[in-house]
Amino acid sequence: MVTKNERIEQSMHYVRTVGMTTMRGRGFYFPVDTAMASNGRIYVLNRSLERVVADTIRVTMLNEDGEYFGIFGRGGEGDGEFRWPCGIALDSNDRVFITDEHLNRISIFSPDGEFIGKWGAPGDAEGFLKGPAGITVDGDGNLLISDSQNHRIQKFSKDGDFISAFGTEGDGDGELNLPWGITTNSDSEIFVADWGNDRIQKFSHDGKFIAKYGSSGRDNGQFVRPAGVTVSQKGYIYVADWGNERIQILSPEGNFIQKLRGEATDSEWANDFLRVNVEEAEARERADMEPEFEFFNDDPHEESSHIEKLFWGPVSLLLDGDERLFITETNRHRIQVYKRN
Amino acid sequence: MPENQIDLIAHLMRRGGFGATQQELEDYTRIGYEASVEKLLDTATPTVMSEYLIRRYHPDESSLLGGLSGADAWLYRMVTTDTPLLEKMALFWHGIFATGYPKVLNAKPLADQIRMFKRYAMGDLNTILVQMAKDPAMIIWLDNQQNHKDSINENFGRELLELFSMGVGNYTEDDVKECARAFTGWTIGNCEYMEVRSARDSDWPYGRISWHYEFDQSDHDNGEKEFLGRKGNFNGEDIIDIICQEEATARFIARHIYHFFVADEPPVPQWPYQPPRDPEAIDQLVKVYFDSKYDIREVMRFLFNSDFFKSEDCWYEKVKSPAELVTGVMRLTGAVDMPRYDTFSKQLRMQYMGQTLSNPPSVEGWDGGTAWIDTGALVERMNFAAEELGNLTTPGSQQLFDKFVAENSEQISPDRVIDICLEHIGSLTIHRDTRLKLVEYANENGGVRVDGNQLDELGKDTISGTVKLIASTPEFQKA
Repeated sequence: MVTKNERIEQSMHYVRTVGMTTMRGRGFYFPVDTAMASNGRIYVLNRSLERVVADTIRVTMLNEDGEYFGIFGRGGEGDGEFRWPCGIALDSNDRVFITDEHLNRISIFSPDGEFIGKWGAPGDAEGFLKGPAGITVDGDGNLLISDSQNHRIQKFSKDGDFISAFGTEGDGDGELNLPWGITTNSDSEIFVADWGNDRIQKFSHDGKFIAKYGSSGRDNGQFVRPAGVTVSQKGYIYVADWGNERIQILSPEGNFIQKLRGEATDSEWANDFLRVNVEEAEARERADMEPEFEFFNDDPHEESSHIEKLFWGPVSLLLDGDERLFITETNRHRIQVYKRN
Repeated sequence: MPENQIDLIAHLMRRGGFGATQQELEDYTRIGYEASVEKLLDTATPTVMSEYLIRRYHPDESSLLGGLSGADAWLYRMVTTDTPLLEKMALFWHGIFATGYPKVLNAKPLADQIRMFKRYAMGDLNTILVQMAKDPAMIIWLDNQQNHKDSINENFGRELLELFSMGVGNYTEDDVKECARAFTGWTIGNCEYMEVRSARDSDWPYGRISWHYEFDQSDHDNGEKEFLGRKGNFNGEDIIDIICQEEATARFIARHIYHFFVADEPPVPQWPYQPPRDPEAIDQLVKVYFDSKYDIREVMRFLFNSDFFKSEDCWYEKVKSPAELVTGVMRLTGAVDMPRYDTFSKQLRMQYMGQTLSNPPSVEGWDGGTAWIDTGALVERMNFAAEELGNLTTPGSQQLFDKFVAENSEQISPDRVIDICLEHIGSLTIHRDTRLKLVEYANENGGVRVDGNQLDELGKDTISGTVKLIASTPEFQKA
């Protein structure tokens, strides 16, 4: 049961939007995950498309104010290159770990983006990978990886030594179906976005099932293909309810508190673009950006494709030390920032 | 049941679908031809690879920034659907109402158009034409957003009559103008902003925005119009209602259906000067069209059950389009169980063969027929089919190997090797001379040896080589 005070205290409100679409350089192109360093630098992992040139796949470095620090990484199969980059995490030294769910490997970079190393090999035996997606660093400094197409979570040392694994394919307690986002709380418990099962599952640090939250659907507390999850210091659960194009906030017990649908405004980088593209800016100013008409179906994906301010492809959540929530949207190539009341 | 029932159903599945595996053909044969037709026509609840799954692994299948991304998603659906006729009908209407990326410059409305075709493809022509006229991609493609009550733009009105319904020679220039007047005010929402973005090919600042239809009453000409000999204050719906009542429309659509599903006709511009290949068949389809009040499903039901469709004279008389060829091959491999990184490369192969979905060469679509075959395209078609079907690692190849093992024979003769391979790729009937050549090839290694439940490498190579050769035959390249 969520009290009124709790609901008010834990509710989030919109602050600002960061980033914009660009195929190269300063900007994002199909961002799929975001991480933040100890100095506040934000790393945005851009997956791009299969058919475009290699330099559109990259990590963009910036801060919340839009200050740009450059990019690193590119498309390809060599060192420091990606095909299907999916998850990004930083360790306590701000070293950057990136999963690639096509190449089935983890690439490691310095905080400035210098390639350090890589590990991982395809397979379904312990220690092998098939579609590594979400990644996080646990309290012991080890890596937890959603080994998605093996329907399990694997724990590795940062050097890639296999430590343990849990989960098998299925929809029972503790079973997984194409898991994606993963995080831990301050008690080292593990939260997994059990994507194909439309739920969040909570495990002990050694992989024992503790709880599950949500079911399939569009009502409050229900999910459609949740992609990302993060947990606050007090245990509140934030879910990127990807298939519902929204964010949901749950109490530590899993009770619904709030849903966010998106309120994006023009970012600093968007304003830079519009300042020098006057014809487009003026037409945009005159346009009705929230038109009302009958949508093709009741899938919020459709609504989001027409109304720009709404979340479209909210995939990853980052909660910073001030409990501000950074929501990465793949299809709108931006981050919306919210904070607690 | 006639001996060739499975071959007849194989013909049905090549035309109403993308071919069928041996298992599928055996399942269809068990229920019989007419029930198979009914199964094809039941398009209410297609099962297809989940859109969520496709979008997860190919993020651009959500927002479609890449001009051809929608075609990738369509390929997944064609390859994985259990309702192939729906996809074929979408291809059919896409070929007639051909709309392309280079002018629209927004792939989401193009993908939405294909989705619209699937919603209405099997309904009545009246509804299909109205939905097509309100389709945002079509509006931009044929400039109807510039069709104003005080300054008409005839582009859409002309193509509606010439290419989409009646064909040249069945209306006057005045009809074109009056038709255009009726569609004034049929535009898209936020037209100015969307046009500016398209003109600049802009996906800034936050990616493309989908389009929606909007009726601008203030820009609509409500005045009296005279169209095809009738007078009234016609709007677009009224015009389409009149068009659907015309025999010319029935004949035009019937000939398109015959061309797509029965046997190749000459390119559309030649139709006014060259009679249909089978005028009697067209007459029959026209009758069903009117009897059923323009119902396309009824027309298709009649067609698939007609003698002219079943006749062996039209088997292998249609060159597969690149979309049909690529889809059919990928379905046979059984390899598309999950989104794959290299799907876009299969789509590219389709382009190399001369067809880029959502990017037709012109508003007239693709000519089809032998126009699909030039030297370069033929080599590409044969190479693609041979590479995919000859790949020993696919589930399809494994199933084929299992069939050899199931023969329970240590030595399988060259003749039997050919039979098994032909059955496996859809009960293909090939010319006797071609068969002799294939047997000769299989005989080079003395057929296929089976050791226990294992094939040796030589045997696998022989099977793979045989399938590659079959993929190059005229019968496989045709439907």
